[in-house]
Amino acid sequence: MRDFDRREFIKTTGALGTVGLAGLAGCTGGPGGDDDEETTTEEPGTETESGDDSDDSDETTTEADSEDSETTNVGMVYATGGLGDGSFNDQAQEGIQQAVEDFDVEYEDAEPDEVAQFGNYQQQFASSTDPDYDLVSCIGFLQADALSETAQNYPEQNFQIVDSVVEADNVGSYVFREHEGSYLVGILAGQLTSMSFSAGAGSTASDSTNVGFVGGVEGSLIGKFEAGFTAGVKAVNEDIDVQSTYVGDFNDPSGGKEAALSMYSSGSDVVYHAAGNTGTGVFQAAQEEGRFAIGVDRDQSVTKSNYADVILASMVKRVDTAVYNAVEATVNGNFEGGALTTLGLPEDGVACVYGDQLGSEIPEDVKTAVTDARQGIIDGDISVPDDPSNA
Amino acid sequence: MGRLVRASGFERFLISASALLLSVLIGAVIVLGAGRMTSCETAAYTLAFPGAFVTQFVGGDALFAMGFCYDPIALYDLLFLGALGDILNDPTNGQFATTIAETTILLFTGVAVAVAFRAGIFNIGAQGQLVMGALVTGVVLVYVAPPLAGLGVFAAVILLPLGLLLGAFAGGVYGAVPGALKAYADANEVITTIMLNFVATSIALFFVSREQFFKDPESFANQTVSLPDVAMFPELVFRARDDVSLLALAFGIAVLVGVWYLLRHTSFGYDLRTSGLQPDAAEYGGVDADRTIVSSMTLSGALAGIGGAVYVMMVLGNFQPGVPSYGFDGITVSILAGNNPLGVGFAALLFGILKSGSIVVQVGSDVPPALVGVLRGLIILFVAMPEFFRMAGRKFGSFHQPGEQPVATDGGTGGGVDE
Repeated sequence: MRDFDRREFIKTTGALGTVGLAGLAGCTGGPGGDDDEETTTEEPGTETESGDDSDDSDETTTEADSEDSETTNVGMVYATGGLGDGSFNDQAQEGIQQAVEDFDVEYEDAEPDEVAQFGNYQQQFASSTDPDYDLVSCIGFLQADALSETAQNYPEQNFQIVDSVVEADNVGSYVFREHEGSYLVGILAGQLTSMSFSAGAGSTASDSTNVGFVGGVEGSLIGKFEAGFTAGVKAVNEDIDVQSTYVGDFNDPSGGKEAALSMYSSGSDVVYHAAGNTGTGVFQAAQEEGRFAIGVDRDQSVTKSNYADVILASMVKRVDTAVYNAVEATVNGNFEGGALTTLGLPEDGVACVYGDQLGSEIPEDVKTAVTDARQGIIDGDISVPDDPSNA
Repeated sequence: MGRLVRASGFERFLISASALLLSVLIGAVIVLGAGRMTSCETAAYTLAFPGAFVTQFVGGDALFAMGFCYDPIALYDLLFLGALGDILNDPTNGQFATTIAETTILLFTGVAVAVAFRAGIFNIGAQGQLVMGALVTGVVLVYVAPPLAGLGVFAAVILLPLGLLLGAFAGGVYGAVPGALKAYADANEVITTIMLNFVATSIALFFVSREQFFKDPESFANQTVSLPDVAMFPELVFRARDDVSLLALAFGIAVLVGVWYLLRHTSFGYDLRTSGLQPDAAEYGGVDADRTIVSSMTLSGALAGIGGAVYVMMVLGNFQPGVPSYGFDGITVSILAGNNPLGVGFAALLFGILKSGSIVVQVGSDVPPALVGVLRGLIILFVAMPEFFRMAGRKFGSFHQPGEQPVATDGGTGGGVDE
């Protein structure tokens, strides 16, 4: 209905003759855009349509057509870090961009600044009629509270939540088995600390068998990373010490650096972090001390390429896969509301990705051990704890 | 500048309106420029000569046409009208509710800053005071509310004023600290209030991120346990999910009127205003300058703290760190309103519309949020600037006109005539 006002408004302005609106020929986009009248009518939500028709009935037909069209519309509500975080949100956007390439999908980004805005953004997408969104994708566990309320109020709207579970018939929940991926990097760290290995700017000493874990904020989510990592290290050798600490913040690189420095100076060879931007400090510490670090969420030897000479591997969490799968299911008409999808190793939801620079230097037998562990988890031979107290 | 200082209420309205229009025009040019710098498949907006209006009658193509990726008219339409939602058919729609909610909280922070300004104190700490008010309200009510929940409406009658009092108390104490530092230790209040903002945010994070204190053990997020419904402002006509309350809005407006009355018609208000206008003269006239500074900062902090309490009891339902920058927006709201408590109402509404409207723009168009931020900033800058120059002129210049009547809308300080 708001759009009706908008049309009115544009028409009035047009009629006044102050501004010429032309959706007709010669309609070029910004640089590199191609002009096409057809495209104009196909695209729901583009404003150009109002310029070229002079009577209302014509316009309503266009609207109706666009609603029936096959295009799947997805609304993306990102976590508060916003796009450009080089991690979680950007990866979610990669997922939707991939879906746009593969299917007839259009999407709209929304980046709330504050937790209090989540509900409003979700409602905006849910109540929108132009376009009518087929799926609203909510990224990040902080959205769960708001979504459980929104989902109840819009029973006809499909939602996706990543990293948390919302129990509602119209919400598909996607969570990751982060402990499984962490187990693999634990194997890697355990293997390397037991031998003398040197590559890039770092080295390990065989006389010290000690690794570290730096977490962001303590809680059950980051606990899964710690538990998996510890279990993986212990699977290599019971005697390897795992030092574990939480900085208390996901955006405190100096805190992360301090924590990692104290670990390295007390003998750790490899430190794994699950601490968002705090982890940047871990990489800095690794470079200063000439030791190794393991990244998280994305291949950080690529996203933080300054530190590629100390990043052995990254525990990649495929948020993009979660988004892509949900969109794919929506396009195919088999989106399952109320279902809980768990993405682990078999689904490629999590993975151990070797560093861009150091990956080739990691000994083959270490890689084999990691590959074997991966297969063992997939086959069900290895069960990985998700709570640090059981690790 | 003297002309600006003497401008009548009507002239000032005209100045503001034309400043608004100018900012929109400049913003539109920026939007078009940005629209040329991105690439898109179809033009959202086309500038043509002669325009479609002519060509549809005359026939033929436009001689000149240039497409842009963003449509400035649709954008401003979404920004301003979008914030109202479909108000004609559904006055209680969700987007309008958001606008009202934002406005309500900005009423408190705006008037908080205005009170300090009138006393000649630059309170940049409204944000910290708001955070403290919100924290204390959220934390204490969690323990007080559940035992009372059985009382139904009666519980709300106890809990709402209690929550507001808690917010006022915490914010007031937190505001009194920089006030006392300024009065008795000559510490610059700008520095102390800025620094205390960081302190407040960190204190809040400390208590809310640890389960042995106030963190909700059930939640991944750093937040306190949710308050029961009886401790929340009742929605009245709006729906529960919109997190807005007309009662809170009415309370906010009542506070504005109350503060206006306090400043205009009480001896405390007289002391406060004269201290702001001419501290030496005020002191010569028998005003205790130190006490006035502390009490006006306490009042200012208490108002901001009430804003925090309303934020918790109306919007969030618990306390979470990462409180939106209501306190900083309050500074702009106050300047926009010429530090007049009644004007704060309108300035807060403009801010509420812009805040809520930019959500609509993000969802409803491809325009990047950063660009919307630029447009919002332009509007605020242009509207606030004349008022800012006027204030600066009055403070530093001597444009006093002997026969000038005090301007009603700014509380009459312009003419220096006080009753």
